[in-house]
Amino acid sequence: MKEDLQIGFVGNPNCGKTTLFNAYTGANLKVANWPGVTVEKKEGAFKYHDRCFRLVDLPGIYSLTSYTMEEKLTREYILNSNVDVIINIVDASGLERNLYLTLQLIELGIPVVVALNMMDIVKERGIKINLHRLSEMLGVPVIPVSARKKTGLDALMHTVAHYRDEEIASNLKHHHGDMKQEEGHRHKRHKEYPVVYSDLIENKIDIISDMLRAKYGRLEHMRWYAIKHLEMDAEVQAKYPIDLSKVLKQSHEEDIINQKYDFIEEIIEEVLANKSSKAASTDKVDKILTNRYLGLPIFLGIMAVIFFLTFQIGDMIKGVFEGGLEIFSSKVLILLNALHAGEFITSLVVDGIIAGVGGILTFLPNIFILFLALAFLEDSGYMARVAYVMEGIMGKVGLSGRAFIPMLLGFGCTVPAIMASRSLKNIEDRRRTILITPFMSCSARLPIYVLFSQMFFGKNAMLAAFSMYLIGILVAIIVAFIINKNSKKEGDTNLLIELPEYKAPNMHTIFIYVWGKVEDYLTKAGTTIFAASVVVWFVLNFGPNGMVKDMSQSFGAIIGKAIAPLLAPAGLGMWQVAVALISGIAAKEVVVSSFSVLFHVNNINTAAGMASLTEALAGAGFGALNAYSLMVFCLLYIPCAATIGVIRRETGSVKWTAFTIFFQLAVAWLVSVLIFQIGSLFLAG
Amino acid sequence: MTLADARLGGTFTVGTLELDMVTMRRLEALGLTKGTKIKLLNRNRSGSVIIMVRGSRLALGRKIAEAIRMREVL
Repeated sequence: MKEDLQIGFVGNPNCGKTTLFNAYTGANLKVANWPGVTVEKKEGAFKYHDRCFRLVDLPGIYSLTSYTMEEKLTREYILNSNVDVIINIVDASGLERNLYLTLQLIELGIPVVVALNMMDIVKERGIKINLHRLSEMLGVPVIPVSARKKTGLDALMHTVAHYRDEEIASNLKHHHGDMKQEEGHRHKRHKEYPVVYSDLIENKIDIISDMLRAKYGRLEHMRWYAIKHLEMDAEVQAKYPIDLSKVLKQSHEEDIINQKYDFIEEIIEEVLANKSSKAASTDKVDKILTNRYLGLPIFLGIMAVIFFLTFQIGDMIKGVFEGGLEIFSSKVLILLNALHAGEFITSLVVDGIIAGVGGILTFLPNIFILFLALAFLEDSGYMARVAYVMEGIMGKVGLSGRAFIPMLLGFGCTVPAIMASRSLKNIEDRRRTILITPFMSCSARLPIYVLFSQMFFGKNAMLAAFSMYLIGILVAIIVAFIINKNSKKEGDTNLLIELPEYKAPNMHTIFIYVWGKVEDYLTKAGTTIFAASVVVWFVLNFGPNGMVKDMSQSFGAIIGKAIAPLLAPAGLGMWQVAVALISGIAAKEVVVSSFSVLFHVNNINTAAGMASLTEALAGAGFGALNAYSLMVFCLLYIPCAATIGVIRRETGSVKWTAFTIFFQLAVAWLVSVLIFQIGSLFLAG
Repeated sequence: MTLADARLGGTFTVGTLELDMVTMRRLEALGLTKGTKIKLLNRNRSGSVIIMVRGSRLALGRKIAEAIRMREVL
């Protein structure tokens, strides 16, 4: 068995790295059509003939500088771990811009194989790329692939496997057309490097290389470090400090960038034919979707349709699940009786687990539809446009339109949404976005709205549920506005985002995305919600004197009664509500499970289940206004345990995390008290 | 003129960028270098723009647009 091969996937954002990575490793990492989906490196492996190929999917970058988090992460990985080969995924439909990174990667000195992706799209447009010439000019192998259609995959890995056999440097062939040929470096160096800079810069590279060699010995990536010194790259300066006061007066970064792009123009001139043809369809769609007047109403319309479908269609299919649960529940009861299981076990299984977990499973259709819609949104290319459309509103509250992408993802799940805030360049911007993203109503809160709005609002149920989403957005924006007014630090309101071309959503991508979410939901039901239901059952069925017949004697009731007075101004002063809210910190769906357990409702998402719960609540004076206040409180209060974890990880600060928890609790209390008190006035009047 | 007050649909040559270093470098890495031709595709009410540069589309906020000096290619 030959040694393992370590392979890094590097490329621009949204060039198809992750799709290609999934194609090789069989992984199901998230793919979407907006720049910045991958924020962490992901590893995978597969067997190629008798060798183990270890692949690493790195976040998309435009450049090997260290100005953004993604760049730092990718660069650090390439420099510090023993990457044998870099596969540089190049989006053939955006060749010119993509080659900029390619040139930088080649400059590093690690073997590079270019995977020219999206060749199918290029062919459709009638564009021709001279692959042979491109490979000659870059001095590295260029392999056409289509990650989506899975073509060229074998050829690519074959090339990678033989990278050492290739006498790459000798393949370099340059003409420079009729360009003025300078004496000195230009042609001597072209045997070694594709990009040869002006004499001024090449001389300095030589001087700096000598200085580095004198001080640090033979470095890998010597030329690259020298070039980075010329660019006055802060990280390289700190890593290999040398005194350049005699060599450098100012950074040559701009010249270096310009000369690379000059060379790219040469390449494009030679290898690309039929440049400007059918790229116009995206522009036509954009004329409508990003129209200065229509853009915002269209976006709001799309969101309204998504929520309408989530509630309406979700409700239509939910009956199947309910029937199934009912049958299952009665079968288990029969089985338990047949086994002569004691009261304890029967109660735990039926009242605790089935009521808690089973009730949650019936909301799966709603969750499924919501994520299906979000998948379409993400895969079509519309996501990045939302940042552009929302730039005006977000700018008014001191955030860039780009911050709206995490917020929008927050409708699905807050955890990946907070991770997505990494694509924001400004730290202040990130913190604010992380603070307000949990206010965006995630799918875990959906069961709470579905249940309580149907129980208390009859025909207006959907309106009541939809208003939660609006309140969430409104609170998020108001909070951002207040922070912005009171903060001396300036948020980054400079939008800068690439807009990908629209494409017809890929069924496979969407399937993977939605299936992943369904799996997450089921896993959550089987783990967190299961455990929480069992705990809630225990806390409610045991008291200081052992197992209790009456829940109001239980530990849960004791805790609930201690907290209930605090919630009374919001109309939530019942000990049962307090218990449900505390349990909801594990995961928001648990609020619903807890209600099932608390009120012995076995199939909570059915008409009968709802009726019995409504009756029980009404008996305690809990009406529509209380229900609405509860929905608002659930929308805004402490994020779930998983979210708290990710906030802690992303901000790297326990203090900030604690502040977020406290702050959101305070906001939830304030808003629900306001709603309940004002609502009470109206109802009284 | 700057990108903020340029004619919609026009093609322009980029002159100087008057921005903070990081934003400027990021723009340059995206191919928005001096002398590059760009096309102005869209502008919304807040002054953000969509441009075509080196075959890809970029959305830029108003502040960035105001800082990009250029002249029209006729």
